[in-house]
Amino acid sequence: MSSGLSRAWREEPSSTLFLLSSVVFFAITTLVGLLVATKFVFPEFMGNISFLTYGRLRPLHINGVLFGWLLAADMGLCFYLVPRLCGNKLWSEKLGIANAILFDLIILGAVFTTTAGITQGMEYAELPFVLDVGVVVAWLMFGANVFGTVATRKHEKMYASTWYIMGAVIWTAFVYLAGNFATIFFSGTNQANLNWFYVHNAVGLIFTPLGVGIAYYFIPKASQSPLYSHRLSMIGFWTIAFIYVWTGAHHMIHGPISQWLQTVSILFSAMLIIPVWTVIVNFFGTVSGKWDKVRQDPILKFLMAGTTFYLLTCFQGPMHSLRTVNAIVSKTDWIVGHAHMAVLGAFSFFAIAGSLFAVPVLAGRQLHSLKLANQAFWLIFTGGIVFFAGLWVGGFMQGLQWNNPAIPFIDTVKFMRPFWIVRLLSGALVYVGIFLIFYNLIRTLTGSAVERAATSPAV
Amino acid sequence: MLKSTERNAGSFFIIATVFFFIGGILTTALPAVIEKSWNKPSAGMKPYTESEARGKAIYVREGCWYCHTQQIRTLEADVKRYGWRGVDAPISTPSEFTRDAPHMFGTKRTGPDLARVGGKYDKSWHKTHFKNPRDLVPGSIMPPFPWILTGNNGQDFEDLVAYIQSMGRTIPWRPNNDYER
Repeated sequence: MSSGLSRAWREEPSSTLFLLSSVVFFAITTLVGLLVATKFVFPEFMGNISFLTYGRLRPLHINGVLFGWLLAADMGLCFYLVPRLCGNKLWSEKLGIANAILFDLIILGAVFTTTAGITQGMEYAELPFVLDVGVVVAWLMFGANVFGTVATRKHEKMYASTWYIMGAVIWTAFVYLAGNFATIFFSGTNQANLNWFYVHNAVGLIFTPLGVGIAYYFIPKASQSPLYSHRLSMIGFWTIAFIYVWTGAHHMIHGPISQWLQTVSILFSAMLIIPVWTVIVNFFGTVSGKWDKVRQDPILKFLMAGTTFYLLTCFQGPMHSLRTVNAIVSKTDWIVGHAHMAVLGAFSFFAIAGSLFAVPVLAGRQLHSLKLANQAFWLIFTGGIVFFAGLWVGGFMQGLQWNNPAIPFIDTVKFMRPFWIVRLLSGALVYVGIFLIFYNLIRTLTGSAVERAATSPAV
Repeated sequence: MLKSTERNAGSFFIIATVFFFIGGILTTALPAVIEKSWNKPSAGMKPYTESEARGKAIYVREGCWYCHTQQIRTLEADVKRYGWRGVDAPISTPSEFTRDAPHMFGTKRTGPDLARVGGKYDKSWHKTHFKNPRDLVPGSIMPPFPWILTGNNGQDFEDLVAYIQSMGRTIPWRPNNDYER
């Protein structure tokens, strides 16, 4: 009897390879996050070893989670769902396998360079030039496969997920080039402006369309109900395509950058409420009347909790960009809570849900344990809420204290300690949940789980 | 127009790209052209000395910029907090940073802002502080950096301090009673 892994490898190797490696990096790079959180409570912890110091582990955690886990998982899920939506096979499995291997080598290279202190010194753009070139090549391979599949599609009309993924392919290429190559030719404020353009759009035009595209596929699938509104998905897509790219400068409100550019970024940030609400209405509309399923199914739980976190994140974002609110929350731990809700709460939830759905189909097996997946959900969900909310409360009060120059800075650091302890403990809960997801998926691929009753042609 | 993109991947590609470039160009390329101050160095600014440049490389390598911003924002709180002995810190302007690549504006203040730190603490203070920050600032969560003190026979430390002392000093603002005067 062949294992689920060998079946998955035989049927759809590119998707399998991406999903497998991403969940391994998920378990590793979030553990690094836990180590980083520990350093906030015990600053001497692993403090005397240069390659384990905070300034080296932080970029390892962030780049590892963003690229090693989330982007790789999203790419694997795109390879899974684009052919299914197009009614054909992936354009080239060989290209896809090479793509996954190259991408994983880049991530391994990044583990080495970040801990060695080899860095370009800009947020999300730490990877050295050679690895940047590798990422561009890997992305071109990915784009060729996606567009190749779309060009040879059997179904003429394209579904929302396909647009979002195609949009992400196009925008990621330009966003990445702006943040990692165009920045070479600039310094100071010009470079910072490009850097924040990149950072913001890495979330807004890479992880958002990929995550939303994935949810657009799996929410109707898992709830077995048709999409609430096709027209709404179209409005949402084209408004995000137009609006998001203007908002990068809201990371420098009150900073050394022109007021008119700040104002432009604030106006467009506020308008982001439009595309976000279309997505939210569409997702909740789709599962309306099917909430009993959510109670049973961990996949739907991750999808709908992710949708809720997406709504909250995208409500916070425009609020932060308002000058008065920004003067309090900017540069504080509040923002760390916000960023984790976006990347862990919203987009990782979509990717986890997609993996829990796709891996069993690829393996031709049942998920190893439904119960374990539900337990993992509750661990990550409750741990996550405490994690985010703790940092919001602490960060907001920290921001108010900063606004009173009579309070010495160090007192605001001491004030944060209880909130950092809460973050460490709730982060540990999240980590246990993440490890259970990792274990569950690996066991589904390798264990002796029950074969799927009918190996359904899952379209 | 947008309706056609449901069936036509080609028109989808073109419109998605055009949308991106409208906002992208107007918010990155346009300011680079019309905002002259963004690449006009402030009057007194010289390029970093070799030692300061090496020091900045260490600052980048160790990720100091993850916890220390370098920007006095247009907020009363920043101006007061990061002043020195009764003198307000001037608000940071783009002209002060034209020699910085990578830029070091930062995004998170786990530690205090360093935009105006140059001249505030002398070398022996920094030596003790890098060895164990808590010896000078109880409650600090800054990591110890013993390898900076010993790196290249102590040259790494000299370079990093040279960089730190250069911060925020391209415009005249310092009071007469900092440690160097």
